[in-house]
Amino acid sequence: MSDLILKSLDINNFRSIRGHIHAPLDAKVVLVHGENGAGKTSLLSALELALTGEIQSLERADPGYEKQLLHRSAAQGSVLLRTLAGTSEQSFQASLNAAGAQSIAALDVQRAIFFRERAFLPQSLLGQLLRIYQDAGNDAASPLAQFVAKLLGLDRLDALEAGLKPLVDVRNVRKNVDGWLAMENEKSRFERLLYDQQKIREGLNEQIRSEISELATLCAAFELPVPVREETLDEIAGILSDNYDFEAFARLTDQQRKLASLLREIYGAQSAINSEAAVTPGGGDEAREAFGRWDAEYGQRVSALRNRVEALLINISLPSDPEQFAEAALIRLSTERKQLTDRTSQARADITRHAVGQDELDVLIRQRSTIDEEVAGLSNSAGSLSTALAELTTFITGETCPVCDRNFGEVSHTTLSEHVHGKVKTLSASAERLLNLGRTRSEVQVTIERLSREIEAIAARKIDEKSLAELDRRLASAELLTNELKTISEALREGGRLRAADVAARRAMGEFQARHVSLTAARDTLNDFALSIGASALEEGESFEAAAARMNELLLAQAARLEGRLLMRRRGSDYIATVRSSIKRRKEADERISADVDSMKRVERALGRAQALREHGVAVRNAVDNVRSTIIREEFNDRLNRVWRDLFVRLAPSEPFVPAFRIPESSTQKLQPKLVTEHRDGGETGGAPGAMLSAGNLNTAALTLFIALHLSVPRELPWLILDDPVQSMDDVHIAQFAALLRTLSKEHGRQVMIAVHDRQLFEYLKLELSPAFPEDSLLTLELSRGARRDSVCLSKRFSFKEETSLFLAA
Amino acid sequence: MSGSPLVEAVQQRLRSAGYSDLSTPFKVAGVEFAFTGAMRGRNGRALDLVLLVDTTTGGFGDRDGVRVRQRVEALSRALDVTGSRYVVTVILVGAVLAEDMEALTETCRVLHVEGIALDDRGQPASEISGRQLDDRIRVLLPLMLPVPLGETRDGSEPAMEQLIHALPAGTDMALVDAVITASSNGEQAVTDAVAFMISGSFESEPGEGNS
Repeated sequence: MSDLILKSLDINNFRSIRGHIHAPLDAKVVLVHGENGAGKTSLLSALELALTGEIQSLERADPGYEKQLLHRSAAQGSVLLRTLAGTSEQSFQASLNAAGAQSIAALDVQRAIFFRERAFLPQSLLGQLLRIYQDAGNDAASPLAQFVAKLLGLDRLDALEAGLKPLVDVRNVRKNVDGWLAMENEKSRFERLLYDQQKIREGLNEQIRSEISELATLCAAFELPVPVREETLDEIAGILSDNYDFEAFARLTDQQRKLASLLREIYGAQSAINSEAAVTPGGGDEAREAFGRWDAEYGQRVSALRNRVEALLINISLPSDPEQFAEAALIRLSTERKQLTDRTSQARADITRHAVGQDELDVLIRQRSTIDEEVAGLSNSAGSLSTALAELTTFITGETCPVCDRNFGEVSHTTLSEHVHGKVKTLSASAERLLNLGRTRSEVQVTIERLSREIEAIAARKIDEKSLAELDRRLASAELLTNELKTISEALREGGRLRAADVAARRAMGEFQARHVSLTAARDTLNDFALSIGASALEEGESFEAAAARMNELLLAQAARLEGRLLMRRRGSDYIATVRSSIKRRKEADERISADVDSMKRVERALGRAQALREHGVAVRNAVDNVRSTIIREEFNDRLNRVWRDLFVRLAPSEPFVPAFRIPESSTQKLQPKLVTEHRDGGETGGAPGAMLSAGNLNTAALTLFIALHLSVPRELPWLILDDPVQSMDDVHIAQFAALLRTLSKEHGRQVMIAVHDRQLFEYLKLELSPAFPEDSLLTLELSRGARRDSVCLSKRFSFKEETSLFLAA
Repeated sequence: MSGSPLVEAVQQRLRSAGYSDLSTPFKVAGVEFAFTGAMRGRNGRALDLVLLVDTTTGGFGDRDGVRVRQRVEALSRALDVTGSRYVVTVILVGAVLAEDMEALTETCRVLHVEGIALDDRGQPASEISGRQLDDRIRVLLPLMLPVPLGETRDGSEPAMEQLIHALPAGTDMALVDAVITASSNGEQAVTDAVAFMISGSFESEPGEGNS
């Protein structure tokens, strides 16, 4: 893009300019001359008005300056500036009436500021310039700070510094970074969750351990080949469920039956002998008769009872003696009844507990889902939103919403601040509620776990209702039998007595019988049997009864032992089922924990990454501080001061002291440059310019400062417009100043426009700024006005002319 | 011409700044003028006529203020007569009376060079004396502006470049790029950008898609 060049200016009735003037401006240098009051300043002000829509120097003097802009004699006026960028023309315009000026087309804000601050030096500003910069202070709005901020990148560094500031405090991070707070909450939620789950898992583990140890105690009796551990459960279950004991028990029952039948045979043989032997000792017949009578009366009933008892109590052998039978049967029945009662009541309790437990579980699960629904309903961000809203309240002054700018009165009768306070209260209540809900939920969850475990344990050991009915039925028959036995107990006792008498009578015949062959054979058989069941052989003289009782006792003892073993096998299997269900639950818990640990780790990693980024951001911010202070120091020492010194020395070559900005070495972030003077050839810093320089050189210092500032910043507009800057410079300075203007115009591409009131100076500048090469150009504008006529602007264009006056002396 | 070393140093300095020597004597409007040295600029300084006067050892009446003034005034008038636009700058090399200089400034621009330490090759003895010499004739020398901050090598802004250099090693460059890009839109944009980067880091694990 080529530079914007001033082309021409049309002014109608503006300030001291009456009527219309047209001023061409399209030259590298424009010299404006006029006597005081001829309208030089008006011309330059018109330029400023057209470009920026206002006139800063007038505003400084009189905030109501706008009313003075129109020439007194006119009703309306205008200013119109044309510019050229390459070949495209652009207009800047403002219209004037008695009330003020309306800008029609002006520069964008940035370039307007550049124009005001860096391109146009109104006469009134020159005298104040040094003071303005000397009193700069260090707040951000001071002219010096603005100059520095203008330097490329510094506003961006400022933006970085301020923009990264929230990273320093984690509270601001939470406020600014979406999801930070949520992530932190997520992390603590997982921590809580994991803690709960670990507790549940430990509970399960403890349970499994205690169950295993009970199982081990139980299994000690079996002397298992494998140790009882979780891993060997299957093996143990196999061992426990093998049929060895069961088969042994069946074998034993067989043996008992066999013994009973053997005994019956023996008794049969004995009684046969007894009946046919009249010679047998007396009394035997009576006794047998009495017993026979009793037997006729009760025998069938007793045998029916015996059959029923034997049917009910499988694997049992009852003594044949009625009385003993009754006693034994009663004892066995009462044991059986007790067992059955226990089992049924246990089963009932289980069924009831199972149902109740399921109900409880159901209630808890519903509670949990209610909590979940509520949690889902509550916004996670309630807390941060409430914080944000709470901060917002300070911005609420009336009924106008600071967000949508609508009047809240349209919506509700309550005031807006009440509404927002209410909302904040609700939201922070929500946040608290969320915490409560989380706590309650984990409690509920623990109870649910416990209940599910209990229910599964019950389900594992619970028996179905059909089996329960069967148990009941058995119990009923046991009770019935007991009652029947009790009702005939008298008769049975009698039978017993009779039978005993009978037996006594028979014993009397013992020796006689002993001699009997069949009895001998029977005795052999019994002896063999005794050996086969592991009992000792019959001793000489030992009666059949005694031997039978001995063997029976042995078998009963074995039966009792086997029953015990079977019971233990059952209980062992129960334990194994429980342990397995616990292990399954533990496995599930493990899976949940590992899933949650994964999530937790992901959250932690995410937070770690975010934290790292945050630290990087802080590092960037620190670097920004360093870079900025470096740049500021460089800017002042290496650039601004150097240019200023160069310019100042040009204009005041004999002044040994040059003005400079000095930045204290220690200051970093705060910009606190001071205006000082330095000796040109080095050495100690002198005092403030006001104390060291003459009035003329002070003026020079201000003028060169302005030009140095202009040259130090990027060239947004290539114009230097100076309004009568040489009021009090002496002649030396004017010659140097002219040379400087020429340098700026011809070597640095600035379009220079300068107004002077002094005729001699005007002529001198006209000579000094004459076009020096073919593209060079110079325009002079001479303004004049009379009391009764319109202002006149006389322009004259000078173009390059080959210089021919100099000849070498041949 | 074997003038004084100081005159020679001034001429050398001006030559290096683009001035070329004019042989003297020269004629203007038919009148011949002789000076210890005469130089002419080029391009924007093509109208600069620089005359050197050696007030210590020079000929042509250089040592007499009045005669110098008369000569310069005569030249000035001759230039006027021919309608020339040459701007005359007289450099007085060596000690000079203040009133002589004062009188001369009414006619032309006057610069005064004196007391510059030179080494045995006629060059300024040190950087300081070089700068002292420059300061005396600075108005004739080109104005050297430091490289504007905005126009550096690769087009990126120098402050940002410096910032990147100043960062501790291992700083996350994606973050740096994001905030630097955002910095041209003000502090809120920076805060937003860094917040966006951080919350973005919640979303994805490195080496994994979206989770």
